[in-house]
Amino acid sequence: MKIEKEMTCIVCPNGCRLEIIYEDTLTVKNALCPKGVEYARNELMNPVRYLTSTVRVSGGVLPLVSVRSNKPVPKDKLIEIVQFLKNIELKAPVHFHQLVCKDVLGTGADIVATRKVIKK
Amino acid sequence: MILEKDVVIIGAGPAGLAAAVELAKNGVKDIVVIEREPFAGGILNQCIHDGFGVIKFNEVLTGPEYAQRYIDEAEKLGVEIMTSSMAIDINRDKEVTVIGSKGIIVFKAKAVILAMGCRERTRGAIGIPGTRPAGIFTAGVAQNFVNVKNIMIGKRIVILGSGDIGLIMARRLTLEGAEVIAVVEKMPYSNGLARNVTQCLEDYGIPLLLSHTVVNIEGRERLKSVTVAKVDDKGEPIRGTSKKFDCDTLILSVGLIPENELTKDAGIDMDEVTQGALVDENLQTSIEGVFACGNVLHVHDLVDHVSNEAEKAAKSVLRYLETKCENGQRVKVKAGKGIRYVIPHTISGKKDVTFSMRVDRQWTDIKLTFLNGSNPIKSFKYKKLNPSEMVVVNLKASELKDVESLEVAIDED
Amino acid sequence: MKNCFDVIIVGAGAVGCAVARELSKYKLDIAVLEKESDVAAGTSGRNSAVVHAGFNNKTGSLMAKLCVEGNLGFEQVCRELDVPYKKTGKLVVAFDEEDLKGIEKLMDTGKKNGVPGLTFINAEEVKSLEPHVGGIGAMLSPNTAITNPFIYTVALAENACQNGVKFYFNTEVFGISKQKDKFRISAGGKQYYCKYLVNSAGLYSDKISSMAGDKNYKIYPCRGQYYILDKRTSKFLSMPVYPVPKPGIGGLGVHLTPTIEGNILIGPSAEYIKTKCDYSVTRDVMNQLFKGAKELLPPIGAKDVIGNYSGIRSKLVGPNIGGFGDFVIKESEVVEGLIQLIGIESPGLTASVPISKRVRDILGSKMDLVEKPGFISQRKGILEFRKLSNEEKDRLIRECPEYGEIVCRCEHITKREIMDAVENPLGVKTLAGIKYRARAMMGRCQGGYCLTRIVEILTEEYGIPVEEITLRGKNSKLFEGRVK
Repeated sequence: MKIEKEMTCIVCPNGCRLEIIYEDTLTVKNALCPKGVEYARNELMNPVRYLTSTVRVSGGVLPLVSVRSNKPVPKDKLIEIVQFLKNIELKAPVHFHQLVCKDVLGTGADIVATRKVIKK
Repeated sequence: MILEKDVVIIGAGPAGLAAAVELAKNGVKDIVVIEREPFAGGILNQCIHDGFGVIKFNEVLTGPEYAQRYIDEAEKLGVEIMTSSMAIDINRDKEVTVIGSKGIIVFKAKAVILAMGCRERTRGAIGIPGTRPAGIFTAGVAQNFVNVKNIMIGKRIVILGSGDIGLIMARRLTLEGAEVIAVVEKMPYSNGLARNVTQCLEDYGIPLLLSHTVVNIEGRERLKSVTVAKVDDKGEPIRGTSKKFDCDTLILSVGLIPENELTKDAGIDMDEVTQGALVDENLQTSIEGVFACGNVLHVHDLVDHVSNEAEKAAKSVLRYLETKCENGQRVKVKAGKGIRYVIPHTISGKKDVTFSMRVDRQWTDIKLTFLNGSNPIKSFKYKKLNPSEMVVVNLKASELKDVESLEVAIDED
Repeated sequence: MKNCFDVIIVGAGAVGCAVARELSKYKLDIAVLEKESDVAAGTSGRNSAVVHAGFNNKTGSLMAKLCVEGNLGFEQVCRELDVPYKKTGKLVVAFDEEDLKGIEKLMDTGKKNGVPGLTFINAEEVKSLEPHVGGIGAMLSPNTAITNPFIYTVALAENACQNGVKFYFNTEVFGISKQKDKFRISAGGKQYYCKYLVNSAGLYSDKISSMAGDKNYKIYPCRGQYYILDKRTSKFLSMPVYPVPKPGIGGLGVHLTPTIEGNILIGPSAEYIKTKCDYSVTRDVMNQLFKGAKELLPPIGAKDVIGNYSGIRSKLVGPNIGGFGDFVIKESEVVEGLIQLIGIESPGLTASVPISKRVRDILGSKMDLVEKPGFISQRKGILEFRKLSNEEKDRLIRECPEYGEIVCRCEHITKREIMDAVENPLGVKTLAGIKYRARAMMGRCQGGYCLTRIVEILTEEYGIPVEEITLRGKNSKLFEGRVK
């Protein structure tokens, strides 16, 4: 089976328009850096995305803390993870890069805070 | 109360912070940064997505993380940031009037850096016909509600404008459980980064309607629907192409406007195209000792460029504080064919200069050429240039020597 | 009996609130029933804010008489009620010979109506007053003024409230019956009773009249669309400038009116519409308006536009009939005790206090009106921080630090003013209510900066749940709920 497609690499703002041919081996054209090749491979086999979202905080100067996954997670699990994060409420103070959830939904990625939230 | 300061910086967003840190690193300690929010960080605080810092730090950071870098450094260097305070006036004598909870302070500054950022273009300004129900938000406001205030703005959403803010919000709202029905874009191409079209629209199956616009808003109390029509190459709606979309929320991502009310009140000369101040190669405005950088000068697409520009402004302030007089800027820089604007507006021809510009439409396989009169000085080749992408190029003093008049233009050969 | 009043006023527009205030000077139990969430929700909040001199009204009509009377007394009322007022004067500009004849007619009508000071000025004098406006000559009306119609109506209502009048919002009247000499009004899920019913329901005054048993009236809605221009255009215009009305056109040509805060209004247009609540702005009219405005005032441009709105006139004459429809201010011939205020279009705002005095007279002819001792005639509004000097601002902030926090950056509105607006005596808690009382969200960014901060104040300082925050009450909710 031969797969031929075009896709935009999302790793950096350059957004290289990649041409991919997969038939036994993978050929990637137009990538300005090796990260693009890796991205293309993942997109074909197991598309992943970094997740950024928010988590509720109680007793802090802000009601939410922004969070991110420290690794990309499977694309089709993004919405599920965001739903799951709704169940978490952190108590202020929240520290910068505080671990919010380890190995979220078994994806191997941790969710960490991307800012601090001090107590009210 | 009247206080004297070496430097007053207006805005502790990415531009203000980078400028402050650069000044403090170089020994200028008598600085105050005026910030109207209770926290420093500016708009980055609500940009919880990633993509920041790729150029500056070779890392992929979220907005708050990028801001934290500078906030931490500023703290380490002892930079004074006056939060919950708003500058309400600047005059030609570089006196900055600030309102805060302690009263009114007038700072008598040796130098001022304008770093106030932008505001968003509104529904009112673009005149979409129809009613004025609840449920219409500009993208930045929606972003603040959803990401900072923990408030969900609607369930069924149409987004007008495919710039990065609109695309980012399409993803954000979808992840948080809303239905984004479509992103509507007046131009025949998206105004945002290609990666954002992929990771914000294609990933979620959100249709992008190019060459379309919202021609009517319906709903008495809360938005009920919007009417969308195709537009011709002049941007005018084409009769018979209207379609109604039932929705309860309309997000407008229709442009940013540099927030220059203080600048205008001070009588500083403005550029009609950028809606920011006219500046020389030192980023100095028409008032001596007042400098501008970041989004207040011209709308940027990457915060990395904002930081670089702010550092430049800070370096200029350092020189200004020492020598108090700058070289005459006699060479005007002209935006030629295909170029919407270029900054700075004047140069001396004696120093290295970083030029920032935007093209007026999509161009492919072209050269960007700097000309002295009709003589080409330097060219840069590009496969593709978009209006949504700010172009930054550097020219050396040696290349600009003896320049009489400078023009930047697109060369299609 | 509960909900029993001497007088019930239906409609809390400028006229209804003026009547409420006037009658509150007497020993009467008064209630105002308003179907929307705030005062001035209809025509009273959607007009040019001009206090007309009265030269454009048919001689001998109530409109003419009460307009002139209202104009002369307006400044005093504004002083008592702490309402912004500015006697700018007005120019009616001629561009051709026909226009000059039109001016002659206006001056004649004005004179007959008792309007003081109308003068013809030549092109040079026009230029010296308004350098950006052209024309071959103009009529200057020195008595024309501008005000803030929201604050005016709010002030009348608050003063009436201070003096005992009860206001019921979100209380739409569904049925009216008369039992002996009492009206029974079904409204907002309750029954209200009164001896005298004042019908000041504006666009719906025909409906109220019909409900009460007087089916003699029909209101034809006629919409007017407006542009609002940025305050930076205020340097181009210091007083209302209208072209001479050309016969045959339903409206009055494209008008330019400075507002009391320094914006410029373009409009209104005039088009009859089918439904009374269609406040849309339409592309064709908007284009027409802007084109006309630019001809009258060349320095304005598209970048100066900050918004649009529309208002709907309550006309007693329909589109195919044409002609003139005067104010209806009288007791109904069919239903005793029903005091009709119907067809109150321009100059309704200007004439609002004289109309209220007419209502008092009608009532006075039917019952003994006993003056109420201790009537509070003065009302104080929200302190406008932005209008103070820096020294005054500084002093005020030290007394009250909430003045030191600017919430609306375009208009420089402070947190204290927002809170005063939320804490208003009428108990209105909508965003539009805050907007019109404090001026927040009315600047060039249209709430882009302050909306999130105002919502934070509502939720954090006043504990209002996000789901209950509305733009104009009822179903105009802003939010779904919490994200997390």
